[in-house]
Amino acid sequence: MALLMGIALFVAQAINFALLLNERQSRRFNFPVAMATTRLVDAVESMQQGRPLSTRRSDPLRSVIATEESLVESGLERQLEVESRLASALSDAGLRVRQVRAAEVPVDRERQWRDLAGSKEWSGRGPPRQLLIFSVEVARGEWLNIRWPLRPSEAGLAWRLLLQTAVIFAALLLAVLWIGRHAAKPLRNLAKATAEFGPNSSSNAVPPEGPADIQRLIATFNDMRTRLLEMLGEKDRMLGAIGHDLRTPLASLRLRAENVEDDQERERMIATVDEMSRTLEDILSLARLGRSSEPASRVDLAALVEAVVEDLRDLGHDVIHEAGSRLPASVRPVLATRAIRNLIENAVKYGGRARVRVLHWGQYAVIEVEDDGPGIPEEDIERVMDGFVRLETSRNRQTGGTGLGLTIARSVVREEGGELRLENRPEGGLKASLRLPLAGRHPAGKPLCGDTLCDNLGTPRT
Amino acid sequence: MSDNRPHILLVDDERSIREPLTAYLGKNGFRISQAENAEAARIKLGAYAIDLVILDIMMPGEDGLSLCRHIRASSELPIILVTARTEDTDRIIGLEMGADDYVLKPFNPRELVARIRAVLRRAGSGDARQRPLETASYAFGEWVLKAGERTLVDREGLSVPLSTGEFNLLLALVTRPRQVLSRDQLLDLTRGREAAAFDRSIDNQVSRLRRKIEADPKDPALIKTVWGGGYALTADVTRL
Repeated sequence: MALLMGIALFVAQAINFALLLNERQSRRFNFPVAMATTRLVDAVESMQQGRPLSTRRSDPLRSVIATEESLVESGLERQLEVESRLASALSDAGLRVRQVRAAEVPVDRERQWRDLAGSKEWSGRGPPRQLLIFSVEVARGEWLNIRWPLRPSEAGLAWRLLLQTAVIFAALLLAVLWIGRHAAKPLRNLAKATAEFGPNSSSNAVPPEGPADIQRLIATFNDMRTRLLEMLGEKDRMLGAIGHDLRTPLASLRLRAENVEDDQERERMIATVDEMSRTLEDILSLARLGRSSEPASRVDLAALVEAVVEDLRDLGHDVIHEAGSRLPASVRPVLATRAIRNLIENAVKYGGRARVRVLHWGQYAVIEVEDDGPGIPEEDIERVMDGFVRLETSRNRQTGGTGLGLTIARSVVREEGGELRLENRPEGGLKASLRLPLAGRHPAGKPLCGDTLCDNLGTPRT
Repeated sequence: MSDNRPHILLVDDERSIREPLTAYLGKNGFRISQAENAEAARIKLGAYAIDLVILDIMMPGEDGLSLCRHIRASSELPIILVTARTEDTDRIIGLEMGADDYVLKPFNPRELVARIRAVLRRAGSGDARQRPLETASYAFGEWVLKAGERTLVDREGLSVPLSTGEFNLLLALVTRPRQVLSRDQLLDLTRGREAAAFDRSIDNQVSRLRRKIEADPKDPALIKTVWGGGYALTADVTRL
């Protein structure tokens, strides 16, 4: 903005400058032309009436001189405007001449003037550096000439103008910058608060500052923030109530199921109740995710994955794990454990067995979970991570379940500033890659790679 | 008829839980008294020789945590908490209040029976003060084991997560420093909770634990193998 303003200001000043210079230039000639013309008209009149030329004693240098050749030599650049003014003055006086010439020459060319330049007569603006030479051919080979000094052209003028421009520019720039900051700071605060706003954020309302429009905007944002927090709080209370109200009857049902006489029937009932409980827990934890109170801490991710793997093995799952070296990362351990456990359970459920490894890749830890199952049709691969999606394929129909495992895993990972990617392996089976930034959640609350995955792991876009 | 069955006081405001649970526990060899609130529970506690209390945390009026604190103030009576919440803080607060164990609603009744038996066994063996589910922290070597959060933290503050088996094993070792613990003892000490979890050998878990905490797992300095005996933690342990 400052640059644009600077350019505009400069153009305006340049136009002013050109106009001023033009005017100065013509005014510079006015007096010499008037004086010289008067004297020349007199001289031409005298000459045409046959009177001799009189030399002014008081002002010999500015006397009219008669010559056979014009003093304006043919090589000089002629002042056409001055010539036309002189010609029209002559014709106004009713005088007819053959030719009119005028040129501007440096004082140095004329010896008498050069000598004079040193004298004190030229105090004030200093000695002239230029002369105007006027030359009128009255008859063939009879020229009348007069030389007139020009006031020194105002060389400082250009510099003064530049300085003036700079001063105006600096003053305006300071004012504009101050106004810009005054308006921009509250806007920046607002943008920051908007980016950071989340159910977990502890940031307070933004103080309304700056110009009136921006203050209104901030006040509106604060209202919206309050409403959102109220809604989230209400959601929590509702979920807590649902959780409690459903868990107790489920516990009761689970207990009563133990009293069913028929063995097969009893085990089926228990399996169904357990499935309902798991689904309820999945839904509740998904809904609670954004408001987890767990703080992030520095955790050895390799050990965390290993602990999850060992616990699942103890439950009888077939999990192959390549032990990796220590990999400290800033995560919320309970949430991260949950995401990794879901991925492994998913792999075991659909692929019979899971292979797990942890890689260190640039600023990320990548946890890969592979299975040998049927994989997921390419067109469903993104959809399967959206909540409450049932694929019309064998993957879900056979096994039931809410399919919230992957959704929870992805939500957790996004909360942590990472991403979850699913892909079918060329050899068959599914590969889930869970990528977590080692430095923890990005301060602005955005995933480091935005909505799409960082394709180039080496140089993540930040 | 003389009644040698353990006497359990079941405190829960939900009749739909109390009744089937009473029936189920009765079938599994326990004698049950019921209380629907803290006040009734205090009366029953005064009237009977109770062996163990099952306590619901969320009750109208005085809640389970408060009653738990009250019981613990005057006795070592074993307590198992029942909570409908999954937030970890509940578990830690409950254990700090002196509960011996906890179950999440909706719980598996068979698991509850297993835990009741484990808690009673520990209480009967006079080992009640050495609860495996402690909330204290133990410093040994370069490490701090935070039992409440079930995490192991190194000198630089980096958490090294442990599997349930590894955690139970390490907790058994740090609470008995410089004692030789046989494989049988370790199996018994670590079996208290997740019942299905420990068909894997103690040796296997020891070697995994060594990989995590020893500077050189091949030449262990913290967990020593005792020839013909078992394992012992050779470091000094400071309870924080």
